[in-house]
Amino acid sequence: MDLKYVGKDIPRVDAYEKVTGTTKYMSDLSFDGMLWGKVLRSIHPHALIKSIDTSKAKALPGVEAVVTWEDVPGLNGFGIAIQDQPVLCKDKVRYAGDAVAAVAAVSKEIAEEAALLIEVEYEVLPVVDDPIRAIEPDSPKVHESGNILLHTEIRKGDIDKGFDEADLIIENTYYASRQEHAFLETEDGIALIEEDGTLTVYAGSHYPHRDQLQLSRCLNMPVEKIRVVSSPVGGAFGGKDELTIQPIMALLALKTGKPVKMVMPREESIISYWKRHPMIMIYRTGVKRDGTLVANDVKVYADTGAYASLGGPILNLALESSCGLYRIPHVHIDGYSVYTNNGISGAFRGFGVPQVTFAMESQMDIIAEKLGLDPIEFRRKNILKKGEVAPIGHHITTDVESEAVLDAMEGSRLWRERERYRGTDKNRPWIKRGVGLALSWQGMGLGVGLPDFGDAVIEMDPDGGFIVRVGCVEIGQGAMTVYAQVAAEALRFPIERIRVVIGDTRNAPDAGPTTASRAAYVGGKAIFLAAEEMNEKIKGYASGMLSVSPDEIEIDDGSAYVKTAKDKRVSYEEISSYAIERGGLPVAEGHFDLPTADKAIEGAFGLPHHIYSCCGQIAAVEVNTLTGQARVTDGAVVVDAGTVINQGGLEGQSEGGFVMGTGYALTEDLIIENGVVKTPNFSTYIIPTSKDMPSSIETIPVTNYESTGPFGAKGIGEIGMVPTAPAVTNAIYDAADIRVFKIPATGERIYELLKQKKGENK
Amino acid sequence: MKEINISLKVNGKQYDLSVRPNMTLLEVIRDELKLTGTKESCGMGECGACTVIMNGRTVDSCLVLAPQADGAEITTIEGIGEKGLHPVQKAFIDEWAIQCGYCTPGMVMSTVYLLDKNPKPTEDEIKEGLSGNLCRCTGYAKIIKAVQKASKMMQ
Repeated sequence: MDLKYVGKDIPRVDAYEKVTGTTKYMSDLSFDGMLWGKVLRSIHPHALIKSIDTSKAKALPGVEAVVTWEDVPGLNGFGIAIQDQPVLCKDKVRYAGDAVAAVAAVSKEIAEEAALLIEVEYEVLPVVDDPIRAIEPDSPKVHESGNILLHTEIRKGDIDKGFDEADLIIENTYYASRQEHAFLETEDGIALIEEDGTLTVYAGSHYPHRDQLQLSRCLNMPVEKIRVVSSPVGGAFGGKDELTIQPIMALLALKTGKPVKMVMPREESIISYWKRHPMIMIYRTGVKRDGTLVANDVKVYADTGAYASLGGPILNLALESSCGLYRIPHVHIDGYSVYTNNGISGAFRGFGVPQVTFAMESQMDIIAEKLGLDPIEFRRKNILKKGEVAPIGHHITTDVESEAVLDAMEGSRLWRERERYRGTDKNRPWIKRGVGLALSWQGMGLGVGLPDFGDAVIEMDPDGGFIVRVGCVEIGQGAMTVYAQVAAEALRFPIERIRVVIGDTRNAPDAGPTTASRAAYVGGKAIFLAAEEMNEKIKGYASGMLSVSPDEIEIDDGSAYVKTAKDKRVSYEEISSYAIERGGLPVAEGHFDLPTADKAIEGAFGLPHHIYSCCGQIAAVEVNTLTGQARVTDGAVVVDAGTVINQGGLEGQSEGGFVMGTGYALTEDLIIENGVVKTPNFSTYIIPTSKDMPSSIETIPVTNYESTGPFGAKGIGEIGMVPTAPAVTNAIYDAADIRVFKIPATGERIYELLKQKKGENK
Repeated sequence: MKEINISLKVNGKQYDLSVRPNMTLLEVIRDELKLTGTKESCGMGECGACTVIMNGRTVDSCLVLAPQADGAEITTIEGIGEKGLHPVQKAFIDEWAIQCGYCTPGMVMSTVYLLDKNPKPTEDEIKEGLSGNLCRCTGYAKIIKAVQKASKMMQ
């Protein structure tokens, strides 16, 4: 097909507003008579609430409302999967940051002062901070039901037989840190009551329609009376998937009848909201001398913190990918998601998979080295292909371009020229250099048994242009641009005259969450289907206007014409006038159900997925053996992308994912000790700056047409950071002969490992 | 708290304001002047999202108290492209140097300042010049390309 917009060099449709500072994020909105909200949070990680006295706060001049659990009209609980997190705590707090009360006042300062006047009497309880210890029956309980949120066990083959067949067994324990999203825009927004009594909540998130549903439960209000606007978002990465401040702002707006604004200060945001699950991963992997994997025994403990949110599904997605994209006949996977008082863990780009990929791809590197095999050759020998049985026991029935990704990794400049990036630096002999790689895969979409669909609506404008409505959100990934490109291509219509409306429950239909690498894929496909219907309608009008049958009409570039007589044509402006005279402008709808597996994995809700993305990465690092500090100097990202809709967008996701992944590998560690966050700002929680980025990151897409996606595209949003950490730590081994079992590989940790190695060599 | 009078010039326009002395320049710009292009992200000088140019130098406007800005001349993101887009803005669009866009105004201001002081920066000088501006989306690669492009466009 001759494409005009898909795959072309199209600038971001939201770039002009963003670069001029005219984009209105939720934090930029203000309304007349607006109040400021402030949350009082628990300073104790685990305590009973004996009493809450709000009288002094209420008496402070300028305070318009103080709310506690008593003011929650509906269910005092939220959570995407399990609603066990109180909007405002009643009798117990479970992490330092748990919301206890909130204030609305005429200024930020008065709201802050009033929050401090609320008197809460606590009875402090022992802190549960070790997920393995928390499972023991005598551990203090975070929830009455016990500390195990989810236990999933998957067996395939006969694990003992597998280890009997193995010539080499490698056993290691890996630790992955708690990662902070560090989106530049913190949780913020405004809630207000419209004249017709509707509650409008402006707050950035991944899924306005689910926020609406959750708010409806908490507020005991019908969904029709709640409007949620949640786009554009100043970064999210999974951290705004669950509710954050929305229900508290809504309570204050309902109580005062006035607009209430809240902007989380950075420290409060870091202390109070979602993080990537820290995981402890015990791996035992068996392999034959010739490099055939035969057994993998995996045990995972995920620290889900105080509340459920998506802790269960995150564990299961991690387990699905825990053995890598490899053919392993005998598998035992045993995973626990455990409640603790360590903040709250939830969705974060990669959804559990970066952790297990760090462990599995480290195992792969260790085995390849022990057997003297080339790391790509070793992976190729075991790589899972379409039609084969995955480690959790289902058949892979869709294209996952595993071999093509390995081929492209092998052919990449960085791998071919790797010798240039290895060895001791001649001018600085204390600098050791090395190259490492890792491969990953991840399911796309929400998984089996969950509704996973997208709706889109296309309307013709009175001037013959189009409005495209789809409920996903713009979190920076470029969804709006992809939607405009897909619509322009499918409608065969100039992109400048297409307006995309997203992220608003009133003005855009439900297209599911902007998560799981599904927004471009599902939203794009729904738009494609709506466009097909719109094209049929346009042909119908044109056939009436030109007095020929609809089959004889062709459309292109904003006009419809007779195939055999191209000068017989009508413009879309004329069609719109014609349609208005005949009852109204055309509207078309598209509905797409994401294909899911036909058979579920027993005892593992949501598994398996049906469509997978695959990504391989190569990293070159330098290790300073005097300081222990490692830095990534070069990177290559190979990603199974299907058709590339926009190269700029693909590279942006890939480069951004790679650099976020290097932060995860080297510096990012949200430390919680005895339930208290020790790194609540960017001076103590270190994310990469421009000086930390590699001098080059090459993006190499594998572009096999994905038959179910819009114009053959596949989602790539998450996987770009999944294999980075093990690629970096494998490179550290190549450079300095030290194995990293705990990320981040900070200067201190590497220094200690170097010291240990020196001791061993003496 | 007793308010004090300050006067400052923002994007060429004179403002005489009565403000609380503990107000930051960022709050003056966003809440009083309603110029919301300048963003707050960390509120403590760690991220650069609130970067503006004050008396010819970039500052984190969250770290400047309003009284310190008395008599100052300030340029915000709204003030750099009055005759159409500034070359730096154009280069950011062309190079896809934007994702969520929340760091973009601060990043653009730091770039404008950098190229003003050093019209032909090396790659290392660009990285140094932008090291006070955090971006979590792009991985910086495209931002650096945009700065290089802007540098060429401005010569």
